[in-house]
Amino acid sequence: MPDVEMKDITMRWGNVIAAEDVNLKIQDGEYVTILGPSGCGKTTLVRIIAGILKQTKGEVYIDGKDMADVPTEERDIGYVFQNIALFPHLDVMENVSYGPRVRDVQKPEWERISHKYLELVKLLDKMKMFPSELCGGEQQKVSLARALSTGARLLLLDEPLSALDARVRVDLRYELRRLVKSLGLTTLHVTHDQEEAMSVSDRIVLMRSGRIVESDTPETMYMRPKSIFAAYFIGETNLLEGLIKKTDAAATTVELRDGTLIEVATTDFREGEPVVISVRPEYVYPAVTGIHAVVSSVTFVGTHFRIVAVADTDDRVEFDVPATVEREYKKGDDVNLTIDKRSAIVYARTPGELGEATKLE
Amino acid sequence: MPEIKLEGIRKHYGSIKAADGLEFTVKDGEYLCLLGPTGAGKTTALRIIAGLTEPDSGKVFFDGRDVTDIEPEDRKAVLLSQTYSLFPHMTVAENVLFGPNIRNWPEEVRVKTLANMLDLVRLTRRSDAYPKELSGGMQQRTALARALASGAEVLLLDEPLRALDARLRISLRYELRSLAKSLGITTIHVTHDQDEALVMADRIAVIRKGKVQQIGTPIEVFERPISPFVANFLGQSNFLQGSVTHVDGMTEVRDEQGRTVAAGTANVEVGERVAVGIKVGNTEITKERYGYLQGIVERTLFEGRNIFVDVMVAGLGRFSSRIPAGRSREFSVGDKVSIKWSPEKATVFRLKDRSLDDELRVE
Repeated sequence: MPDVEMKDITMRWGNVIAAEDVNLKIQDGEYVTILGPSGCGKTTLVRIIAGILKQTKGEVYIDGKDMADVPTEERDIGYVFQNIALFPHLDVMENVSYGPRVRDVQKPEWERISHKYLELVKLLDKMKMFPSELCGGEQQKVSLARALSTGARLLLLDEPLSALDARVRVDLRYELRRLVKSLGLTTLHVTHDQEEAMSVSDRIVLMRSGRIVESDTPETMYMRPKSIFAAYFIGETNLLEGLIKKTDAAATTVELRDGTLIEVATTDFREGEPVVISVRPEYVYPAVTGIHAVVSSVTFVGTHFRIVAVADTDDRVEFDVPATVEREYKKGDDVNLTIDKRSAIVYARTPGELGEATKLE
Repeated sequence: MPEIKLEGIRKHYGSIKAADGLEFTVKDGEYLCLLGPTGAGKTTALRIIAGLTEPDSGKVFFDGRDVTDIEPEDRKAVLLSQTYSLFPHMTVAENVLFGPNIRNWPEEVRVKTLANMLDLVRLTRRSDAYPKELSGGMQQRTALARALASGAEVLLLDEPLRALDARLRISLRYELRSLAKSLGITTIHVTHDQDEALVMADRIAVIRKGKVQQIGTPIEVFERPISPFVANFLGQSNFLQGSVTHVDGMTEVRDEQGRTVAAGTANVEVGERVAVGIKVGNTEITKERYGYLQGIVERTLFEGRNIFVDVMVAGLGRFSSRIPAGRSREFSVGDKVSIKWSPEKATVFRLKDRSLDDELRVE
């Protein structure tokens, strides 16, 4: 399967910059997800790779070959969109065999190909049905089979699961990854859903305002994000502002706004530097000492309760307690909170940056 | 604000039963989520309450008053669609004042209403912007302000967060709920997203095939589901079928392969055919030899805070377990594991002659 390389890609629409100096390499057989908020330029990149859009600057290479003069239909690409675009008057089989048939593939061969992909998406038994007789999840599987039956070796998925119900979406994530991996396809998937990105990809590329912010495996991106924006966008997190009190080989101590001292794994920051501690709700625990806070809301979220508390530092702190725990928390309760020192990450704090980093729209 | 009551609502489109004896009550000032898969009839229910769709039979009451034949504009119930339907050629302010303007409210009332509404939805500084210049979240707040400005007492929200980015959606859940609660307005929110419903609702009505399957607080519907469908739709469950072998505080069930599992108290008899449902979050996997079931780890899926571990159990199929991501190193594909749970976290459902697959079908 091909590898893909984008070199210094810039896309401008008049004064609007949709992508700027993007450099991205996707390995043969790799499943890469571009994640980012609406308008970050992720769809633009996919369209440039597909050849639907012509970049203002930069080059796209597929399998080492410059795509400058290669039209979309010669790029061996399978493309699946958010809006399921099946031919309504063709049945499932006819939809899936459409690609091979327009390429003049003979009947026994296009039948074999269509069977193969319909079997992969587990829809062989529905090949005589029309799109309107299928539910959303099945329709999207047909789109996928159709995209692949053209012999695509590079799969581009633009929000393929966004139009589906939450539950169906979760089931299809599995299917998507299984399918792509079993065929060994190189895949680029675009989404605004961080959970989806984490569960399907080998690697996540996080974008914002037309630029790549960072790129790493899902696990590293969640556990050790390099920027406050990544920490906040990839999952929920608590952000505590403070100053470095002391640091040595064993630990770094941060003084929060109310004087509370928090110890975290050692960092390179120097005494007195303004910092932000990021710690996910699942790594904040009620304790006897620690950050003092007052509970402002308690919400049942299934297997646990999500508790929001306002700390004496004025920071808002969210944490979870299992639904089986005996203590009942209610609004107005005093709590002391401690954080898992290895899971907390310390970032440099510059004026105004926190507000900017946590802006979602 | 009005209490809303639906009684025996039926609405058929050909062979499709969008409402099939739909009944529920929403209390004054309550935030109710109608949760169900696509095609369950959620939007039809909203449209019938708004007066935009006429039911084939059944009645709608607002505060005990039959409004079934009352025009939409006289119901003070505003429906907000998924796409917000703002007027594209009007500014935020003009959109918000659309209702007051056609009703010819006095100038000073209009000015005051506009100021209040924009303040409420934090759009004062964007009052001259056009919808296309706004982000999805801002468009949604504009639509909300427009609905409230015309004096809505009942807010009908059709997938209000669907068009927004996943991360933003999570942040806006609290905001939308607290806005509705602070106004004391009666709210019905339609969603297919169980997490959204759990977090936002005072009560959840789970809808399937035009009927309410269960209505209750988030804790009630999550922890005490009345059907396999509800158990699976909220929080995803693993199921095992078998017959009851012992009833004594706990319930013991044996499957066809002779495996015995324990579940919570249930009103069933020995010999009865049942399904046992356990939420994936309450399904524990361990490398110890002892557990109700044994299987092989088939795949793991990283979700951020949690990982999902799928275990193939011979003769039973896939059992999933959601465990904290911190434990991700404990299991790898191919490992032999045991599956167990706290019996009181497992729910017993009588199957009678129904098939479990039919009970669970989502679409």
